[in-house]
Amino acid sequence: MELRRTDCELRRIVIVGGGVAGVSTAAALRSGGYDGELTLVDAGEFPYDRPPLSKDFLTGVKDLTDLALQPPDWYDAQSIRLLAKTMVAAIQPSSGTVELAGGKVLQADRVVLATGGGAARPPIPGLDDHRVHVLRTAEDAERLRSALVPGARLLVVGAGLIGAETAATAAGLGCDVVLVDPVSPPLTAAVGPLMASWLHEMHTRRGVTTVQATVEAFSAHSHGLAAQLSGEDAPRVFDAVVLGVGMTPSTGLAEAAGLECDGGIVVDAGQTTSHPAVLAVGDPTRRRVNGLLMRRAEHWEAAQYDGKRAAATLLGATVPRPAAFWFWTDRHGVHVEVVGEMAKATSAVVRGEPAEGGRFSVFGLLDGRVVAAAAVDDSAAVRAARRMIDRGVPADAGALADPATDLRALLRRRPEPTAAAVP
Amino acid sequence: MSLGIRVAALDDIPIGEGLAVDRSVTGTDDDIALLRDTDGTVWALDDTCTHETASLAEGWVEDGCVECPLHTSRFCLKDGAVQGLPATEDARPHRVEVRDGEVFLFPGEAP
Repeated sequence: MELRRTDCELRRIVIVGGGVAGVSTAAALRSGGYDGELTLVDAGEFPYDRPPLSKDFLTGVKDLTDLALQPPDWYDAQSIRLLAKTMVAAIQPSSGTVELAGGKVLQADRVVLATGGGAARPPIPGLDDHRVHVLRTAEDAERLRSALVPGARLLVVGAGLIGAETAATAAGLGCDVVLVDPVSPPLTAAVGPLMASWLHEMHTRRGVTTVQATVEAFSAHSHGLAAQLSGEDAPRVFDAVVLGVGMTPSTGLAEAAGLECDGGIVVDAGQTTSHPAVLAVGDPTRRRVNGLLMRRAEHWEAAQYDGKRAAATLLGATVPRPAAFWFWTDRHGVHVEVVGEMAKATSAVVRGEPAEGGRFSVFGLLDGRVVAAAAVDDSAAVRAARRMIDRGVPADAGALADPATDLRALLRRRPEPTAAAVP
Repeated sequence: MSLGIRVAALDDIPIGEGLAVDRSVTGTDDDIALLRDTDGTVWALDDTCTHETASLAEGWVEDGCVECPLHTSRFCLKDGAVQGLPATEDARPHRVEVRDGEVFLFPGEAP
């Protein structure tokens, strides 16, 4: 990273939140040459990675130390002061202070908010029952794990990424799982209708009951917790319920500090908020590009890239351009990857045959270029697609559809000269 | 001095891809991934990603790095140095030599 010293020398940076966005910011600051004070404040015991919470951590295959985002000695080695099990009460951008719960005050030339979010809790009557779980933190996952005994009747509300992964994990643990979602099939916007249907039907093939409905109410029942689903005459009774219906961005500190928030903390292309001394990264942020407010990314890799962009801004270096969104999800033993925005595509190309134990992918095309791709057990297809998207390589639908085509060779085709003016 | 183990023909490893050599051949704890960079050179790293169980030989090889097929952690082909999360540990490198179109591996020897 090339340094361009800005007007004032930064000596004290405080990062609030130790998820992948906060830790990536810290790592990128150090690797980019920042040698001033660097403090990372985190509510947990130590910064850990969240994707396994619905998978290997939920089954108990991995414990919390396996989820550490960095080895314990990394913080000292990088001269990062980690304030674990610590909450931030307020930030004062104009005076450059960060007030910790308990009253201690840290001085900061710049603050980076990496505050993440909480699990959304829709307004369903009876939701406050102790048998209703969410899945956002390691504590949530531990509490849910104790309920996932073989034969337990589990209702999973929401069949998006977290819901589907949790349903698959619970079925694998021998639970009797019902997965409810008002949309059928879910994830169509992300992976297109063909793959969405195939993935959703996989639940049925693996013993999960899928129901297209909403939950109208929960109520205590003599044999568990009763859930009334829309369109059904009688409630179904469960031992436990998990909500997987999205996240609520943690914008409290930002709002209290008077920063612009609109369904998230509003940031510019370099992750700076409406106050120049405060940056924000990861799940709670919404980027404004050319006056247009983007939706929250809410993906692991996007959070990591946010951290790199924030560090570049702080270092006065060139800020990397946002790349196409990429994410993965693992369920019922298959690895799914998605890149780009399938909803933008006007046509789709299917490569391979959707089949149990097989691999297939879908490419979304717009104006002769790949804009999205999704793959089941074929990450190379998505890795090729993301490079086609980022490099503006012209798409050849026939070649993409043929499983014998070497996607790496397609990638080597040069973009047409007119394609150079990608914004 | 050891001549190494003849493990593949150079043409067996397409540019930008990898080939796993079984530990029964290499005598190492892990299989070894032969990885062919976009400039045509061949490198070797322990095959299993240091993050989770994934084969780096199935990863994306480009511009001096291999990208894990599961969660996109990237490792430097020359020395196995990890370039980004979720992995935090380096991959172990091994020396490779190409002679007359044949790939020879020196398990456990530094490149």
